Amino acid sequence: MPDIAISTDKLTRRFGSLIAVDEIDLQVAAGQFFGFLGPNGAGKSTTIKMLTGLLAPTSGRTELLGLDFASHPVEVKRQIGVVPEGMGLLERLTGTEYLHFVGRMYGLDRATTRQRSEELLDFMQLADRPKTLISDYSHGMQKKLALAAAVIHGPRVLFLDEPFEGVDALAAGALKALLGRMTGRGVTIFLTSHVLEIVERLCSHVAIIHKGRLVAQGSLEELRAGIAGEEGSKTTLEQIFLSIVGQSGAERPQLEELSWLM
Amino acid sequence: MADVARFPGIAEQIRLVAALRWRLLRNSLRRKNNLLDLIGLICAGFFGALFVLGVSFGFYYGASRFTSTARAGWIALLFWGIFLFWQLSPIFLAGFGAGFEFRNLLRFPLSLRAFYLIGLAYGLADFAAIASVCWLAAMTLGVAATTPKVLPAMLVIVALFVLMNVTLERLVSSWLERLLARRRTRELFFALFVLSMVSLQFIAPAVDRYGNAARPWLFLLLPYLSPLPASLAGRAVSAAIGGNLGGVLAGAAGLTFYMFLFSGLLWRRFAAQVRGEELSETPAPVQAIARRKSIEQTEQPEMFRILSPQVAAVLRKEFRYLARNAFAFLMLLVPPLLVLVFTWQFPGRNTAAPDQGISPAFFFPGMMAYLILFLMAPSYNCFAYEGRGIQSYYMAPVRFRAVFLGKNLMLIAVLALEIALCVLVLVFRVGLPSAPIFVSTLAAIVFAVTGQLSIANWSSLSFPRKLEFGQMRGQRQSGMAVLTAFGVQIVLGSITALILFTGRWTGNPWFPAEAFAGLAAAALGGYFASLDALSQLAEKKKETLIEALCR
Repeated sequence: MPDIAISTDKLTRRFGSLIAVDEIDLQVAAGQFFGFLGPNGAGKSTTIKMLTGLLAPTSGRTELLGLDFASHPVEVKRQIGVVPEGMGLLERLTGTEYLHFVGRMYGLDRATTRQRSEELLDFMQLADRPKTLISDYSHGMQKKLALAAAVIHGPRVLFLDEPFEGVDALAAGALKALLGRMTGRGVTIFLTSHVLEIVERLCSHVAIIHKGRLVAQGSLEELRAGIAGEEGSKTTLEQIFLSIVGQSGAERPQLEELSWLM
Repeated sequence: MADVARFPGIAEQIRLVAALRWRLLRNSLRRKNNLLDLIGLICAGFFGALFVLGVSFGFYYGASRFTSTARAGWIALLFWGIFLFWQLSPIFLAGFGAGFEFRNLLRFPLSLRAFYLIGLAYGLADFAAIASVCWLAAMTLGVAATTPKVLPAMLVIVALFVLMNVTLERLVSSWLERLLARRRTRELFFALFVLSMVSLQFIAPAVDRYGNAARPWLFLLLPYLSPLPASLAGRAVSAAIGGNLGGVLAGAAGLTFYMFLFSGLLWRRFAAQVRGEELSETPAPVQAIARRKSIEQTEQPEMFRILSPQVAAVLRKEFRYLARNAFAFLMLLVPPLLVLVFTWQFPGRNTAAPDQGISPAFFFPGMMAYLILFLMAPSYNCFAYEGRGIQSYYMAPVRFRAVFLGKNLMLIAVLALEIALCVLVLVFRVGLPSAPIFVSTLAAIVFAVTGQLSIANWSSLSFPRKLEFGQMRGQRQSGMAVLTAFGVQIVLGSITALILFTGRWTGNPWFPAEAFAGLAAAALGGYFASLDALSQLAEKKKETLIEALCR
């Protein structure tokens, strides 16, 4: 049994009468590249926010790297990196200044912060805009900077909410290679994306959340095995996703209703 | 092939835009905790209507009085008043709009003609336009009540004046929109605007001092105003009252000329917008600059060695934010300017009438209290400019005490600098008070600042409101944060007054200094004791804070 990096126990979040996340039990082993999937409004971002301390759960508990988040928030945060839904950048700083700020907030010394900032900005192809404020960056540039900030302190667990959205193909390729190497060194990556091809290519394990409940969890092979018939082994993640989230005939949009468009 | 819907007419499109503005306003009130905003809006509407009605009576009376007392030439003054209000007040009232950008309509299939007409209709829906039209109607009634035969000419002149004004207002707004599309220009403009408003305070003392000498120069300037629209309208009405048809036609022709001139310019502006004028400020790719040089440029000397890395990082970030917020940066000029304004009201030590000057014993503490009131206000919503960056604090392995320490240290540094500057101005203009009062005031400042900081930090967590750099529209502090600041300042003011009164009553000039020093020490202890509690509160309030600032 590998070490568990992320573990939740009946993690629940309510917003008034709406149950956004309903008693989910996640288990992510250390060093896994873990994909967290679900349709719009299923509770993915809410779960990530709870796992990273941006949102308090209504009930249930979270353990990261064996530490209870509620009782050791600072120790846990020291070991994780996050690219949140809105990126959370301080837009009135330049890219270099922001990385310096984040590095120092994580307790890195000045020399290390400076060196890592330079290397990360180079890697993310952001070093040629030293005086440009983040507010004037394009969306893709902001995303790359948020990724750089998430890894500057060398986290052991990385949470990425739609990390490749808006990032050009060249940078996305380099990033995927980097993330792959990080998992090779034992870093756990928890990723959400709507692009199922990316998740299928990068992730070894997947969980699917639907209407706030965890409806599937396991390796891709285990999920494929769950599909009936001989075709199971050839099934794509998209097919697995659709079969599990499974819109019934009543829920599925009827194209006939849009006949005026066709 | 998809069906293509019937294209709505211009009247229908104008109706749709009006309905859209109404829905935006109504929906903006549906948010949680917006009851106070609704009450404020109803009050503003009520008092706005009272204001328009009251001023309408003034215009009615003025117009009828000028007509009946054979001073019809003075009617131009009324036109000038309306002209200035119509053109200037939209800039003042921009912060209370429903947050709708007229340009957004361009995504719909509108012809240039339709866009132009909707633009004019949009301009006529502004408060300034509605109020001005009411006042012009009151003027028309006032003139017609005294001299009924003038009514047809008056109606023509007023109609031309309305069209000219609405066209000019849209033209100015459109140019401002283009000018303010760039962040830096927007911030500078906003800061200069606020500074110019503060500078208006100098008018009264300047008139007092130089009024008589300047009067002949002003009279020399008056003829140069006569070709302008408001003077033309006034002269045309005056000519109509005097039965001078040629004068009426000349005035109407002048107004028509202005109307066509502004219409032509507005048409060109709108045409540029319809063509897809680019206002974006995202920079074009630049050539790579040597990396080493870029890093060296951003290197800062280590000024904050005694602080923890986290507090130093927040402090450095706050300094950078201040330097890049042209508005906040220029606002630092306001306190010394205000001190100068106030000292100007009273003879200082360099005037020839020192006997009439206010005593520094009152002026110095009073001025310092005013400064604290002014400079502490932003600290009650200290996360206002963080935006989505607030998440950086929650993601980082720090307790909020480090964040508050960094932010508060920044405020204290600014306060110290401002107070030092103001003391210099005061020394030059009024002089310093006696040593007991000087020391008492300084101790009272320490007490008032540290006493307020804990509550201001609490208020920042409890009533956050996002503000944008250099934007006027929708920039309002939370009502509760303002009330909290007000309440705290009243309490601190009462304590201060009580101590000063006790000092005077006991006849011990050093009593206030000793009392304030004791209170300052207690406030300082309370401040440090509050930081841990505030860190816990920050955890409890994180959802409110993130939701309010990431909106």
